[in-house]
Amino acid sequence: MKRTGFLYDPRYLLHDTGPYHPERAERLEAIHQGIKEAGLLGNLTRVPSRLVDMKWVQTIHTLEYLRRFEELCLGGRRTLDCEDNQMCRDTYETAQLAAGGVLEAARMLMTNEVDNAFCAVRPPGHHAERGEAMGFCYFNNVAIAARYLQMEYKVERVGIIDFDVHHGNGTQHIFEQDPTVFYYSIHQHPSFAYPGTGREFEMGSGQGYGFTKNSPVLPGSSDDEYRRLIEKDLLPAFESFAPQVIIVSTGFDAHKDDDMADMRVTTEGFAWIMRTIMKMGEKYADGRILSVLEGGYALDRLPELAAGHVKIMLDA
Amino acid sequence: MFVSQSMTRKVVTVSKETPLLEAQALMAGSNIRHLPVVAADNLLVGIITDRDIRSALPYDLVKGQASDEERRKYAHLKVSDFMTATPATISVFDTLPDALLLIQEKRVGAFPVIDGEGKLKGIISVRDLLRAFINVLGIGEPGTLLCVLVDNKVGQLKRIVDAITEEKISFGSVLVARYWEKDKRAVFPYLLTNNVMRVKKKLQDMGFTLLDPMQWYMDQLPKTE
Repeated sequence: MKRTGFLYDPRYLLHDTGPYHPERAERLEAIHQGIKEAGLLGNLTRVPSRLVDMKWVQTIHTLEYLRRFEELCLGGRRTLDCEDNQMCRDTYETAQLAAGGVLEAARMLMTNEVDNAFCAVRPPGHHAERGEAMGFCYFNNVAIAARYLQMEYKVERVGIIDFDVHHGNGTQHIFEQDPTVFYYSIHQHPSFAYPGTGREFEMGSGQGYGFTKNSPVLPGSSDDEYRRLIEKDLLPAFESFAPQVIIVSTGFDAHKDDDMADMRVTTEGFAWIMRTIMKMGEKYADGRILSVLEGGYALDRLPELAAGHVKIMLDA
Repeated sequence: MFVSQSMTRKVVTVSKETPLLEAQALMAGSNIRHLPVVAADNLLVGIITDRDIRSALPYDLVKGQASDEERRKYAHLKVSDFMTATPATISVFDTLPDALLLIQEKRVGAFPVIDGEGKLKGIISVRDLLRAFINVLGIGEPGTLLCVLVDNKVGQLKRIVDAITEEKISFGSVLVARYWEKDKRAVFPYLLTNNVMRVKKKLQDMGFTLLDPMQWYMDQLPKTE
């Protein structure tokens, strides 16, 4: 059995998005509950959350944005940059704990305290741009982790796989000119889903051209189509890129019972995706997989999806 | 909505006497395909396109691979011999819908924009119109598209817009399209949010049908037997 790190902190529940918001604390409770009830907690290595050292956040986000976020949040404003991003006074600190926890998991991964790790954090990150909060996201956790790995542990090639049903515009834009970070995303076609980016022709720019790959999926598609696209687009891309660490933007919102989008992926479909990622991890990255939670809103499905996810990481 | 707001104002122009090879170099250098031809006082007298030039010159000249000797052979050709002397034009006071319809009608790639005296004020290309259209659709900004099927009667759009506004959601755009079912219209609100779960349910509770995104056009495809 692998030594799988598990990041969870009840303080992640403090980020209050108000009534009726889909990105709510119950999501994380459902995920924690699912892993606990599957009897997996005892097999996992606890990753402690920490306040992030802001120097790492500044490698991704602009100082102007970070000041604005802090001031507005502590000043009691309810939104940041758009109505989607509801916040409370605890949001800024929760975002710091989320990013800090992800970096702690990355540290444990690189110092061989764990083989892989799943970070059940809120708020999510992949829509967050350098200087703008978007789509429920504040700090781009995955992007910060990628830079941390490169600067602190001299990792030369980081591969990011994003299977949240929405395109990770923030992550793509942050690394689109960077040939040392490969960003792959599979998501509902942008003409039919937020945020409206992630078309096939978006392949990076400048030196980073060819190090961004998008697989848009038409609404109503299921496991077969995900499998076909991952085999066609992701496997060959990572075969030639050969990432030394793989970071996964894990979103469970392509599930057929998730109302945020129109995809019909089954619980078994998610298992296939994760097993495929673990195999790539073994092949290229010495098993180093850092999975970070993004979306997933079907509260009655999250327990089984999270438990299945973690089980695959333990069994890899 | 006026052509003058979306046109390119800094226009590269030539005169009737400009050598064809020079016009070709100008196009290649500026990465454009249309050069208005003007006389004194910027009076428009014609237009020359890259297609005009391609049909006038041999292939290796067009590709810039010709020898100096061959270039000299074609040096005497003038723009005036190959231009269109009475090009389709559009006025600064015309609108973007005018330009869209005219481009479809005339099947050209760009129009010189002129004032009341026939003087060149700018040029508007299919590319400029596309940019304007992307702007109007709001698709340059992150958002989610819905498709609501409504009866073809007065007041439906107001109900939809009110319901969405009550949720404090901003609009990128709203399109209304003919639908292939009789007495129905399809309404496409483009909403600047990721958070449409609740508003979708609300619209359904109000009695509207939300179309499965795949039905937006798949139903229109010819059925294969």
